[in-house]
Amino acid sequence: MVKSYFPKTYRQALEILAKSNPAIIAGGTDLMVKKRRWSGLSPGFSEDMIFISQLRELDYIRRENGKIYIGANVTLEKLLHDKDIPEILKKAVASMASPGVRHTATLAGNIANASPAGDTLPVLYILNARIVIGSLERENVIQIEDFILGPGSIDLRRSEIIKEIIIDDTDFDFMMYEKVGGRKSDAISKVSFAAAVSSVFDMVTDMRIAIGAVAPTVVRIREFELQLIDTPVNEMAQISGLVKDLYKPLIKPISDQRSTADYRKMCVLNFIEEFLNKAGKRIGKEKDIDW
Amino acid sequence: MSGISKSIPKQDTAEKTSGEALYIGDIKVDGMLHAKTLRSTKTRALIKEIKLPDLPEGYHIVDYRDIPGENYVKIIFEDMPVFAEKTVNYYGEPILLVIGSDKQQILKLIDAIEVIYEPLEPRYKYTKSVVHYEYEKGNTDTAFANAVRTINGEYKTGYQEHIYLEPQGVISLYDENKITILGSMQCPYYIKNAVMQVLNADEDGVRVQQATTGGAFGGKEEFPSLIACQAAVASAKLKKPVSLIYDRMEDIETTTKRHPSLIKFTAAIGPDFTVDGIRAHVSLDSGAYIGLSGVVLQRAMIAASGVYTIKNLSVSGDVYETNSVPNGAFRGFGAPQMFFAVEMFMEHIAKELKYSPLEFKLNYLAKTGDATSTGGQFRNPIIMRDMVHKAWEISDYRRKTTEFSQLGVYKGIGMSLFLHGCGFTGSGEQKHIKAVVRLRKNKDDTVTILASSTDMGQGAATTLRKIAAGILELSVEQIIYNKPDTDHVPDSGPTVASRTIMIVGGLIARAAVDLKEKWKPGEEIIVEQRYKQPEFIKWDEDKLRGDAYPAYSWGVVVSEVEVNPVTWTVELKGLWSVYDIGIAIDERIVIGQIEGGLLQGISYGMMEVMECKEGIIQQRNVTDYIIPTAADSINMHTVLMDNSYPLGPYGAKGAGELPLVGGAPAVAMAIENAIGKKVTRIPVTPEYIMELMKNG
Repeated sequence: MVKSYFPKTYRQALEILAKSNPAIIAGGTDLMVKKRRWSGLSPGFSEDMIFISQLRELDYIRRENGKIYIGANVTLEKLLHDKDIPEILKKAVASMASPGVRHTATLAGNIANASPAGDTLPVLYILNARIVIGSLERENVIQIEDFILGPGSIDLRRSEIIKEIIIDDTDFDFMMYEKVGGRKSDAISKVSFAAAVSSVFDMVTDMRIAIGAVAPTVVRIREFELQLIDTPVNEMAQISGLVKDLYKPLIKPISDQRSTADYRKMCVLNFIEEFLNKAGKRIGKEKDIDW
Repeated sequence: MSGISKSIPKQDTAEKTSGEALYIGDIKVDGMLHAKTLRSTKTRALIKEIKLPDLPEGYHIVDYRDIPGENYVKIIFEDMPVFAEKTVNYYGEPILLVIGSDKQQILKLIDAIEVIYEPLEPRYKYTKSVVHYEYEKGNTDTAFANAVRTINGEYKTGYQEHIYLEPQGVISLYDENKITILGSMQCPYYIKNAVMQVLNADEDGVRVQQATTGGAFGGKEEFPSLIACQAAVASAKLKKPVSLIYDRMEDIETTTKRHPSLIKFTAAIGPDFTVDGIRAHVSLDSGAYIGLSGVVLQRAMIAASGVYTIKNLSVSGDVYETNSVPNGAFRGFGAPQMFFAVEMFMEHIAKELKYSPLEFKLNYLAKTGDATSTGGQFRNPIIMRDMVHKAWEISDYRRKTTEFSQLGVYKGIGMSLFLHGCGFTGSGEQKHIKAVVRLRKNKDDTVTILASSTDMGQGAATTLRKIAAGILELSVEQIIYNKPDTDHVPDSGPTVASRTIMIVGGLIARAAVDLKEKWKPGEEIIVEQRYKQPEFIKWDEDKLRGDAYPAYSWGVVVSEVEVNPVTWTVELKGLWSVYDIGIAIDERIVIGQIEGGLLQGISYGMMEVMECKEGIIQQRNVTDYIIPTAADSINMHTVLMDNSYPLGPYGAKGAGELPLVGGAPAVAMAIENAIGKKVTRIPVTPEYIMELMKNG
């Protein structure tokens, strides 16, 4: 017999997790679909479940000291309407699912689902998202790329829970997010792409690129990004060939029922080029106005 | 706009918005058992043995051995078994039902059944022709002999899945003397006849009642007969009510779809650079059983010259059997495949000969009195020239064509010209359907329509009442239309082929005239009308010669797109369309049919990907099989041009299928013009566009 827990407080949730090791369900928009059965039968959960969407303690967005803290119960819809959430994350969220799903699905759930095609993931990767993991014994913080291990696989023990997500509150000079889906809404992405750049005195000081749905986990390669620092802004367009060559071997998409490997690869390489072209032009322009 | 066209509230709006409408899944009957289908996991194999688990009390297996009558679903070709016997011919073919009261237990039993197969070599290609037709108009050989050159074209179309809102489902009720089928359906009498055959029952032994039907698009024409037969056999054996209702994935994987096609053309170009003759061949993939495929093929073949008058025409076609899920009826019924192909071919000929495609097409546009492709005649006025001009005007077509022709703009506009033959092909109405309609004047001076036409959301319950009310000079509220029940209504034919308003509505109109003459307040009076084929219609079923349809509805669609050169995704920027459907019986209902149909046609042309790999459908849910959402749609501009058809009620012709037919060619052409590459297959996905930009 499967047991369901409805804790009233976060503390209670941790106690239940420590004792009974149930699986966690928040918005349920992934789990309920995965576990659905013949209409008329309840979903096929084979383990005890703990429901957490009633925990208001985990429903907060705070902006402090150059960081943004997002509680595990914050829905996608709430992110869309919060003044502290970066536009690039809002863009990714707005492209997700349908209004109904966005009102119950959570950002933490999108991370825990660990789909290679998770729409918020590339953005979270470039915003250096850290996952705060709570348990009765301790709280620890882990980088998103260390937390997501593979498709559907995360570094979370049965006694632990995602408590909050911390992202950088950085003011980039230029950011880009693109999702390619089979339609404009309610689509699983064929490819997703997030990138951001900052510069000082026309030299790149920070450049980040993350690519979704082309490998088992989101592709973000910090050592490539470091190589691009100190590129003159007006030369960004010219280096796009080199940058594409850097990333090419790591873009290993598959062909499936949603798209082809060739197409996914083409999109990614085109996005890299577009990002560098646009960033170069945009930053240059703004400088014109500033000076 | 005629008075009849003025919109009134749809009959079903209130019950659907309040949630009162009972769909098949909402109907609960005392003692009802649930049935689940055990399906083939092989695409083609012999069944060597079926190992069954011990069945707990109250759980049952029903298979072909329980069929009292013949193990065939009565469609046109009686080749599809109700349950597989010795062989399975496609992945997912039904073998038996497991029936009981607890769904979880049923699933356990299904999992415990082991079927031992001996695999046979499956067939997935166009190699085994099971239906062949051909016809000739004029003398194509001479046209080719005198040609200065020939131009070829080869066009491919993919599957299309209906994705009606409500999946397939029936409930079979048991009574000592009668099996009653409740279900989501288009054609109560198709089901009745099919169930009578499997049960070996007479007319009185089977009753069919339509439940509220959540969309159909042709998908509930013949398929419900299969599950109705299965549920009826189970119910007759167990003497209990049995429900057989599909979930979405089961529905997508195992129900009929639009036939994939391959269409080849060769045009003979004469010394004056005119198209003097066309040879065409149509290949349709029927899947594992023929079903309606031969009739679908006929409609595709008859449309081979599109809206054009081609003097010499030679058309042949084959239905090929493959070991995949059977294909069947889908809004348009062969015409969407052919209109994509023929519209693109005419466009490609024009481009090849360096003509302006539109002027070129207008030169061949059929005129009133011209011979049709099959040597019949377009008797009623054709107003396509005016319609094309209207479409030009509202879409700003000429300016955009010039503006978009510059390189690197990635914007395109395309126009499709199309028609749809209204009603059954050939003498189907006269020979096979023989529709009957009755009107019963009740003592309280209300009038009940007795017809087997179903409302599946398209509005027949409203429009048919309007027709009767208008002629009888009663209010629409005084006309009663109930969901068809074969114990109470005569067989007025299936709700298919854009025939309901024109044919059944026509019979209702005539019955109403009759009733008006006989009207006596306070008395019950019943009047009846039977279909009579117009005298002038002559049709040779074997040679496909003569008047294939009594009337034609016409349309023009202009589609504007912008293609993203980074991802090759296509954005719809504009949709304008103009139609001649005679007279609209209710403008809002017609516009609803048009907007829905057009979007379904557009997405057939650019979005809806379904692949069958080694006999297995790859896109099995609505996440992977992409149909447009509201966000993908745009505001559509629709113009109806009145062109009264003398034999239709209030001058109405068919409208249900027409709008789908023009969508794919219009959007494919717009994309072709935007990217400057020749498009020869649909759907035109970003993946296909990438391929074209790379290679072609």
